Amino acid sequence: MTNLHNAKKTCWNCPAAKLMGNVDFRACGQARDTLGKTAEGEEILIECRRRPELGYFEPNIAFEQCSEWEPSEYGYILKNMKVMILGIDGYLGWTLALKLINLGFQVSGLDNYTRRDCVMEKGSHTVVPILRMTERLIAVKEVLGKDINFRRIDLNDVSKIKEFIEEIKPEAIVHYAEIPSAPYSMANMEHAVKVQENNVLGTLKLLWIMKEVVPETSLIKLGTLGEYGTPLTGRPLFEGLFPADATIKWEDREWSLGGETTPRDPVSFYHVSKVQDTFNVLEACKYWWLRSYDVMQGVIFGVFTEEIAMDKKLRTRFDIDEWFGTVINRFVAQSVIGIPLTLYGKGEQIRGFIALNDAMQCMVRLIISPPEPGQYDVVNQVSGLYKLSELAETVAKVGNEKFNLNVKIQRIENPRVEADTHPFEVVSRKLPRVFGFTPQVELEDEIERMIKVLLESEIKNRIEMKKHTVFPVTTWQGEKREMRNLEKYEPGTKEIKGYKPIFDT
Amino acid sequence: MDVNDKNFEEEVLKSDLPVLIEFWASWCVPCKAMDYVLNELEKEFIGKIKIVKLNVDRNKIIPKKYEISGIPTFMVIKERKIKDSKIGALSKNDLKKIIEKILAN
Repeated sequence: MTNLHNAKKTCWNCPAAKLMGNVDFRACGQARDTLGKTAEGEEILIECRRRPELGYFEPNIAFEQCSEWEPSEYGYILKNMKVMILGIDGYLGWTLALKLINLGFQVSGLDNYTRRDCVMEKGSHTVVPILRMTERLIAVKEVLGKDINFRRIDLNDVSKIKEFIEEIKPEAIVHYAEIPSAPYSMANMEHAVKVQENNVLGTLKLLWIMKEVVPETSLIKLGTLGEYGTPLTGRPLFEGLFPADATIKWEDREWSLGGETTPRDPVSFYHVSKVQDTFNVLEACKYWWLRSYDVMQGVIFGVFTEEIAMDKKLRTRFDIDEWFGTVINRFVAQSVIGIPLTLYGKGEQIRGFIALNDAMQCMVRLIISPPEPGQYDVVNQVSGLYKLSELAETVAKVGNEKFNLNVKIQRIENPRVEADTHPFEVVSRKLPRVFGFTPQVELEDEIERMIKVLLESEIKNRIEMKKHTVFPVTTWQGEKREMRNLEKYEPGTKEIKGYKPIFDT
Repeated sequence: MDVNDKNFEEEVLKSDLPVLIEFWASWCVPCKAMDYVLNELEKEFIGKIKIVKLNVDRNKIIPKKYEISGIPTFMVIKERKIKDSKIGALSKNDLKKIIEKILAN
């Protein structure tokens, strides 16, 4: 089943199918226009861009019957499918580009190096050294034997983006070109504005361009699980939209919530930008029949994919600073140079996580199983829920037992405004049940691989050089100061407190 | 199951069981969400009621004939006659009530 998850999808889903004829834009509940537009028997037909010899036909050829789609371990793949990655120079963008190339996709991408600039501006660097883009492209050609069509473009540069999309006519667009940092967006007004301008306005412009140039192309948009916040009622974090059997009761009446957007409770101006994106994308699908998967990704960690492992020149970046380092990545860097793993506040915060390699598997599955015209759907891309204090214990255990590192843990004053004790239930059913996703990476194995890479002497030196950037020095009020140390302890000596996460797959 | 303009007569009008039809479209988020509940009800009422879906973009004749003006529309047809019709997402309980009412008659 896992490999055949998209076998029954049809031309209706296929980006090669150009919709012709009687397309009828309206909202749920809006009356059909009967003034001549919907003549009896006038159906929606398509023309296949890849198989023009078929002429006009009803969109009902299944992927498993079509010669353009070929089976693979991820499902049916559109031959030489053209995928454009926005933000291709980043941690995820670069990793996905390699994976797609290795699977036979035609990859194009753009980036304006915002991530490199932001990290440099904050006085840090990627501790895993990475090449310049020009050199990266050569390395890919050497190792994987294929070209990436790359262009340096800012997401806000409408005319250049439009020109590039028109030239490539991508069959899927993966949107990773956002500034992904909550603390960065909270530092001061300039940072907050920069994050929201890039993320919100960049995405809004992209939607208008897609409407005009590639309306049948699916948009796979990276959101974050943080859009939902951590509801203190314990209500589950559904996958963006309420399932049909969810109801709301008030006094003696009851209504279905089916298909309505679930509440969002962002926890920084960065998270707000992602929520705004969600609504902009949803509306674009509704008004213009664009199609999109909004991916609510958990906190990402890891260094490994099959392609990255092929050659050191192919490695992706790895940030450890307070702004761009994700929590497991920071813990691992701390463990390597003998700094206690740093928890904020009580350390009982619970988050959803996914390893780099598993996230890439999900993305491939989403790319090859496009939504239908006008379909907006949300997936929670998560493979496990962990309490941060327990994660610190796990990193410490791997570091101590496998590498003799003598890892300690400490708690400092929380620079953020967030609940540090809260219930947490996440629903993540669509990726495993609809797209055939099975997580492959065990948390402890990936931590072990990460420590091993970060212990390489060049990388360890690069961590030492920037170790001061790991500690948070900016609060959510924009105040700059050292956080107070609350406690330092040996792993395994503390009782784990707080709520137990509930993971509903 | 999906029905269309062509097999509507055979699958719905000539059906021995009463039929619950959902008129839907790919761009209708509530319609998409209803799938799960319909599957559940199908299992629960197996052999008692037939549950089908009809896409209003890909089929024009039937939606026009039944004057479908908004989606999702749920309609129950028994012996060629419309027994019930409701617009908008419905809770599982509401759908159950509709089905039970038909089965009681």
